[in-house]
Amino acid sequence: MSAEVSVSIERDADIVTARHEGRQLAAAAGFSSADQTIIALAISEITRNIVSYAQCGKLTLSRMDEGGRRGILIVAQDDGPGIPDIDLAMRDGYSTAGSLGVGLPGARRVMDEFELVSAPGKGTTVTMKKWLR
Amino acid sequence: MADGIQQAASKALLREMGLDEANIERRKKIVGFEASDLPRIAAIRDLVTQHADDYVTTFFNHLSGLDDARPLIASRAIAERARQLKREHLVAMVQGEYGMKYVEQRIELGILYAKAGLDARVFLGAFHQLLKHIGSAVMKQLDRKPVDGFESFMSLKKIAFFDIGLIVDILVFERERTIRQQQESIRELSTPVLQIRERLLLLPIIGVIDTQRARLITESLLRSIRANRAKVVVMDITGVATIDSKVSNHLLQTVTAARLMGAHVIVTGLSAEVAQSLVALGIELSKLNTVGDLQGGLEDAERILGYRVLTAEAGAGPAPEGT
Ligand SMILES: Nc1ncnc2c1ncn2[C@@H]1O[C@H](COP(=O)(O)OP(=O)(O)OP(=O)(O)O)[C@@H](O)[C@H]1O
Ligand SMILES: [Mg+2]
Repeated sequence: MSAEVSVSIERDADIVTARHEGRQLAAAAGFSSADQTIIALAISEITRNIVSYAQCGKLTLSRMDEGGRRGILIVAQDDGPGIPDIDLAMRDGYSTAGSLGVGLPGARRVMDEFELVSAPGKGTTVTMKKWLR
Repeated sequence: MADGIQQAASKALLREMGLDEANIERRKKIVGFEASDLPRIAAIRDLVTQHADDYVTTFFNHLSGLDDARPLIASRAIAERARQLKREHLVAMVQGEYGMKYVEQRIELGILYAKAGLDARVFLGAFHQLLKHIGSAVMKQLDRKPVDGFESFMSLKKIAFFDIGLIVDILVFERERTIRQQQESIRELSTPVLQIRERLLLLPIIGVIDTQRARLITESLLRSIRANRAKVVVMDITGVATIDSKVSNHLLQTVTAARLMGAHVIVTGLSAEVAQSLVALGIELSKLNTVGDLQGGLEDAERILGYRVLTAEAGAGPAPEGT
């Protein structure tokens, strides 16, 4: 099944939509209610970063089925300013916005796989996966 | 005196709209007004002044035929004042002085229109009627060549367009002001701080919390804490659309600020699942005093305040009679 959902992210209301879509897809994929909440939270973090730092971008959600392993794939992409120092951005408590600085490291913690590709002037892409157990 | 108040209002609006000498000059340039227009206008000064009352009547007759203009016509006081200002306007239009003082007078009339909710469309319709009447009177002047009459009228029309520019800008400016004020009050309404009993406030937060809104919530909470000398605040976040790190940060800051004011904060409406996901993410929630539901939160609050919560059956002693 390649049901794919994409949500364009420009404002706060889009974050609400993105979370909702993520929760729906996670539920359909068979994730527990607790896991749905966690997936929605991770989506919230990376889409809010788009609104806060890149103004606009896109979130794509899809279900994965790789040789019996099933799960959910989340890709958030933007053409914003990019992140100059990825190690620093991934550090707990690092924030250029005076916030908690927990979004990126936290999302990595709660998801099974997490990849951040970014360079100054080249935008940012976050790819996250969570497998069904 | 009312006149003084009116003038002060005109002056204030003048400033807010940035209508200074330079702006007025730019406006004249926009309508193509030049020194050569002055003698042409002077040539019809007497004619317009003599018939000013007729033109005023034309203007207001047109308006009274329109439902859209009812608020301006219906109030006697407003209508009288508008007539008077319109008459002054017509006379001033042909005096050759179009500086700050002239603009101030126009503004006063503009404010009156705005107050009466007159639409720019409606104003333009009536003003067109008025100009048409002046135009035909000028052309009918027998002692002048038609081409001179035409030129005089075209020069006067530049001033008319200068005036229209001002009035329309005022109407738009005032409407935007109303919208701004409405948005303010919607924001106020969306962050109500309710006093439940002495020293106890309830802050139900609903919807999306962004940085701007978080600031408003904090401000209005702190104001209420001070005004009510509150000791306990129950902050209910059941209705918050998304709770993530940024929203948590805002909530934590609001709570910290309230604590610094000496109030105890109890957060309710955070489901166990959401709380756990936030902790898994790495957010330190232990600083928050969270209670599952609003009911429990209020009970805790009353305990802190020294009230005892009793169920009806366990009530100590007989219930007061006749209440
Ligand atoms: N999409 C992005 N584009 C550009 N910069 C980003 C993007 N996402 C994150 N960053 C940068 O990385 C930093 C760390 O992000 P992270 O989400 O961990 O923390 P935060 O957004 O600052 O705070 P929090 O998410 O806890 O409210 C941000 O402060 C920002 O400078
Ligand atoms: Mg973030």
